Amino acid sequence: MRKVYITGIGFITSIGNDAPTVSESLRELRHGMALYPPFQKADIPVKVAAIVKDFAVDSPDAEDWVFPARYTIKREILRGMAPHGIYAYCAMIQAIEDARLGTAEISNRQTGLYAASGGSPFLLSHFLERMRRLGVMRCQPLGIVASVAGTLNFNLVAHFKIKGASTGFASACASSAHGLGFAYDEIALGRQERMFVVGAEDNNVENILPFAGMRALSIQTDPSIASRPFDAARDGFVGTGGASVLVLESEDQVARRGARVYCEVAGWGQASDGYNVAISHPEGEGLRHAMENALRAADLTPEAVDYINAHATSTPIGDISEAKAIKAVFKTNLTRPAVSSTKALTGHGLSLAGAMEAGFCALAIKEGFMPGSAHITNLDPACAGLNIIRATLPNRPSVVLSNSSGFGGANVCLVLRGVA
Amino acid sequence: MAPAANPSSGVQLKPFTAEDDANLREALKRCSAATYEAAAQFRKTGNTEHLPAIVLGIIERYVEPDLRAKLKDPDDDLRIIEDLGIDSLTMMEIVILVEDVLQMSINNEELRHLRTVGDLKIFIDCKVRGLPLPQPTRFLPIEQIASVMPIQPPFLFLGEASVSAHGANAKYKISGQEFFLQGHFKDDPVLPASIMLEALGQLAVLFLLEGSVGEAGKSVDPKKIFFTSCEGVRCHRICRPGEVLTLSIKPKRLKLPLATFEGNIRVGQEKAAIVEEITLTFAFAEELAQPQPEAAPSEVPVADGAQTPSLPNEASA
Repeated sequence: MRKVYITGIGFITSIGNDAPTVSESLRELRHGMALYPPFQKADIPVKVAAIVKDFAVDSPDAEDWVFPARYTIKREILRGMAPHGIYAYCAMIQAIEDARLGTAEISNRQTGLYAASGGSPFLLSHFLERMRRLGVMRCQPLGIVASVAGTLNFNLVAHFKIKGASTGFASACASSAHGLGFAYDEIALGRQERMFVVGAEDNNVENILPFAGMRALSIQTDPSIASRPFDAARDGFVGTGGASVLVLESEDQVARRGARVYCEVAGWGQASDGYNVAISHPEGEGLRHAMENALRAADLTPEAVDYINAHATSTPIGDISEAKAIKAVFKTNLTRPAVSSTKALTGHGLSLAGAMEAGFCALAIKEGFMPGSAHITNLDPACAGLNIIRATLPNRPSVVLSNSSGFGGANVCLVLRGVA
Repeated sequence: MAPAANPSSGVQLKPFTAEDDANLREALKRCSAATYEAAAQFRKTGNTEHLPAIVLGIIERYVEPDLRAKLKDPDDDLRIIEDLGIDSLTMMEIVILVEDVLQMSINNEELRHLRTVGDLKIFIDCKVRGLPLPQPTRFLPIEQIASVMPIQPPFLFLGEASVSAHGANAKYKISGQEFFLQGHFKDDPVLPASIMLEALGQLAVLFLLEGSVGEAGKSVDPKKIFFTSCEGVRCHRICRPGEVLTLSIKPKRLKLPLATFEGNIRVGQEKAAIVEEITLTFAFAEELAQPQPEAAPSEVPVADGAQTPSLPNEASA
């Protein structure tokens, strides 16, 4: 199988809207949380969210949206997009510039795009309300493509004139990790030369607050400790949105273009819990198998792993499941891999999480650091024994695992490897 | 409260409340102030004179800023897709806003044939007044022109053409290969003025054949159209090989057996020739294809834009 490399990254996240800012935030453990104004109401127990800065996309009318001046986006492109579509569009521009791709290298039969988002409940509810109020023929013509699941790939594939493989992934919080895994397969199997992998989510009330109903959100009022994976006092995740884009290329393309490389995607694995629609397996069984499958696919032993970017979202049950899964995989060698959850800084980006965190790991490998697991005061005893790093380490990891788990018990583990 | 009718336009007036006004302002917030003013006046008075300003104002709002200059001097032949860069989805957005602002419904089928700004203006005018819809502008490529015309190359001086109920337009590029240019003039090819007049006459023939002229079930016989007279012919400019003539004719009177048109020729924005009147004789074809059940109007109609009467379907289609 051909080797696959990450050659470009783009970020619109709560901890930065470009790779240098994100890298600095990760190293200095600077979080993106704040008291989110729309949550400051008596009947909303959740107060904190991790907010993308420099974008104003809370109007259902795309022409009201404000975004950084370096991006110029025409009305005809905006009108079919959800708020997370514009984040992703901007992250695509960054990734394309970062990978130094020309128009012909983006638009050809050998270049594809896999994307993941949960759609836009915000726009969908707005359009349905309008349909009920004004009648079916007064619906925005592009209301559907702007709001349903799939909106991300519809828009990006069309606007960037992608001609290779394209589809969307819907495995909730594992979605963009699935996207990256299957994009890797496309290149490794020789079906495509280059793939864009995109994860994105709206950053608004409609995307975040429904998780309050299942008591999955932190009700902390202090933004600086609301998200604290592995801490004994963690009480749920902090919602976020944004977008991350990765450019994957075959070794042939990297050689041909003389492309700069962040790291290799060495393989991936997945496995399902077969247990509960919303609760992770108490022993982390699916995730354990996903990690084992990933290591086998990459032809690596657990001893080779330097750093694990955990899925850990700061929920009481989920973090422990993952800790148990890691213990089961690394058994006797438990203290070797450093473990951290960058969700302490970013919050949980749902479909965005996998691509965003794979992007973080790529930065960590290229720039030589391992981001700490922030906001831990008292480590949960159930996580004892793991090498959970509380401060950023200045060491370059050469083999990294990035875990993601989604509803239904879907688990994905990506293996990234430094280039010697 | 019973709806009142504006006596001059036939528009059914509904009360225009403060809430309606607020909704109208919101709906038109990205249009010019003049568009809102025209829409508010129309909603209050039913005066259809405001319709062109409303329709143009709404179109302008959806046209990319760099193309808006084309709407400053609105030409009814401006093509919505080709000239203004509006795609079918944007057209739908325009329609939804027009429906909202004018309180009317438009169905998809009616939209399909609207090609020009003029088509859209006339269409909305007819819809608002409850009048039957006119034949929209049709665009004919050279092959189609040649297939219907009694005049053929090398003496056919029409390239692509468009025909509506109100007239016809065409382009003709002087290739330099025209046989008569060898002698007109010696070592100095100039399009003869008589050929300019001929080209306008040919466009009038095309209008008679393709422009919905004719009573129901009857079509104009291409073999029975002949030149009769012309008045007020003035040439303003010499036309040479490589230049593109923009030809335009409008019917002034159509009453069997005479059809009188006015016409002009431009090269870019420059006036090349004007004909105040050019008159042809014509006759309907003898045989009837399939008599239409609807009663035919007694007179051959001339669409004048202000009050478009019912036009029979073209029998030659």
